Amino acid sequence: MTTTPTIAIEGVRSPTRERTRRIQAFVVASILALGVWQVATLISDGWVPSLARIGAAFVEDLTTAEVWAEIWVTFRRILVTFSAATVIGVVLGVAIGLSRRIAAFFRPVIVIGLAIPDPVYIIVAILVLGTEESSGLIALVIALVPFVVNIVVSGVRARDQGLDEMSSVYRLGRGRYLLDVLGRQVAPALLAATRTSFAFAWKLIVLVEALTQPRGIGAQIYYSFRLLRPDHMISLALLFIIVLRATGAIVFAPLERRLLGWMR
Amino acid sequence: MRADLPMPTGQDGDGDYIRVSGLRVSYDGTTLALADLDLVASKGDFVAVLGPSGCGKSTLLHAMSGVLQPQAGQIEIGGHAVRGSMGPDAPPIGYVFQDHRLLPWRTVAQNISIVLQAARVPRDEIDGRIDRYLKLLQIDRFRDAWPMRLSGGQRQRVSIARALALQPAVVLMDEPFSTLDEVTARLMRQQLAELWRECGQTIVFVTHSIREALFLANRVYVLTKGPARVLEVVDVPIERPRRYEDPRLTELEGQVVDRVMSVWGFGDPGDGSAAGERG
Repeated sequence: MTTTPTIAIEGVRSPTRERTRRIQAFVVASILALGVWQVATLISDGWVPSLARIGAAFVEDLTTAEVWAEIWVTFRRILVTFSAATVIGVVLGVAIGLSRRIAAFFRPVIVIGLAIPDPVYIIVAILVLGTEESSGLIALVIALVPFVVNIVVSGVRARDQGLDEMSSVYRLGRGRYLLDVLGRQVAPALLAATRTSFAFAWKLIVLVEALTQPRGIGAQIYYSFRLLRPDHMISLALLFIIVLRATGAIVFAPLERRLLGWMR
Repeated sequence: MRADLPMPTGQDGDGDYIRVSGLRVSYDGTTLALADLDLVASKGDFVAVLGPSGCGKSTLLHAMSGVLQPQAGQIEIGGHAVRGSMGPDAPPIGYVFQDHRLLPWRTVAQNISIVLQAARVPRDEIDGRIDRYLKLLQIDRFRDAWPMRLSGGQRQRVSIARALALQPAVVLMDEPFSTLDEVTARLMRQQLAELWRECGQTIVFVTHSIREALFLANRVYVLTKGPARVLEVVDVPIERPRRYEDPRLTELEGQVVDRVMSVWGFGDPGDGSAAGERG
């Protein structure tokens, strides 16, 4: 019986070894971050809560039904703003990317929209529309749309013109072209846009809730601040981050695999 | 150079199936790409359009496919005027590009089926057609492969299968082998010549390679430098199957080279008048 000799090629790392190194790097970075936090706790006279206090607050929040109700309120608001901003941004982005005339019309608005700091939208919306829930959401959609448009326009402009020509020659039709030719080409940009939109939506919603709303995780974080409970501020934030990361893994990862699987 | 020759193989002599007359195309209304160009082809004919790089050969195919609107002149295919959308009765046109232009996120079979669906080929016919043409081009084992997993030659064969699967009356080919290595290109030319004899479609093949044009076509339209006019029409009186190394091809190639050298040279863009006649 013969055995196949294993040849080790110098300079070429095996995937298993690469993975082990990545895990090691993650563990070291995490330990360092926790260590720095603990040092900050010791020198801050208790204003920075210890890891143990945060852990206890996290368990308490995790098992409190009201906290989950607040998380749902915020989650619903994120879904509404994220979906609206993504749909409007994608439609506008594709139109601007395909038509010079539409681009000439919207480009200055988008450039200004990108330059305006997000809190300005929120403040203006409160001044104009009041502190209703809808005014904050409208402000956020207006703040997010320029980001989504910008990413989608870049994707549309970078498309392969040769495939456009193929679509015309074979008369694929507008629907097939938008879905199967253009849509799939801009899919990486679309995914980047949706991820950006999702991440920004969460950060801004929490800010809006802290400023104007009685409900939602942002409002709860603000209450914890007013009650001088920094451990709960951090635990609420952590809990919500976990929920969002899980949503990202459940929604975005399969979508990415489906749309970009052919690249692997 | 045109002689009275017997009807070439594949040409059934039932009149002009493709008729291009007085075609004039300009970009931005200023740059003239085609100047009063005429071309005819019978049903089942294999016609090559030969010209130097950038002379407007691809523009001619774009106009023939209906994608590009000419400023003047007429194009008729199978009795239908080509102008943008040709209507449901118009004969389908297959197109093979210089590069494969396959959708990388679709498998080989899906790349063909999307075109067949757009052409409203009945659903129960699509799979059969895909299998048939992939087999004909000897790439049936790549049916479910992603295009990026294939070699350049294999991708171009998929592109040809896509064009033929439409069972078009006319196939327009725009320098389809120019990006392939010489050996693959020769094999592909051989295969195309055999396919044409088997399928009998009318082919308009654009190239800047004199030998390729003479090897493949029954008739070669030699163009001037841009704006393109027809400089010469060369009939190829060599029986099929042909050999790429055939000395008669070499001789004919030499004659064409002598003819075009002064017109295709590095001088000012020629309009054919310097070379005398128009074909």
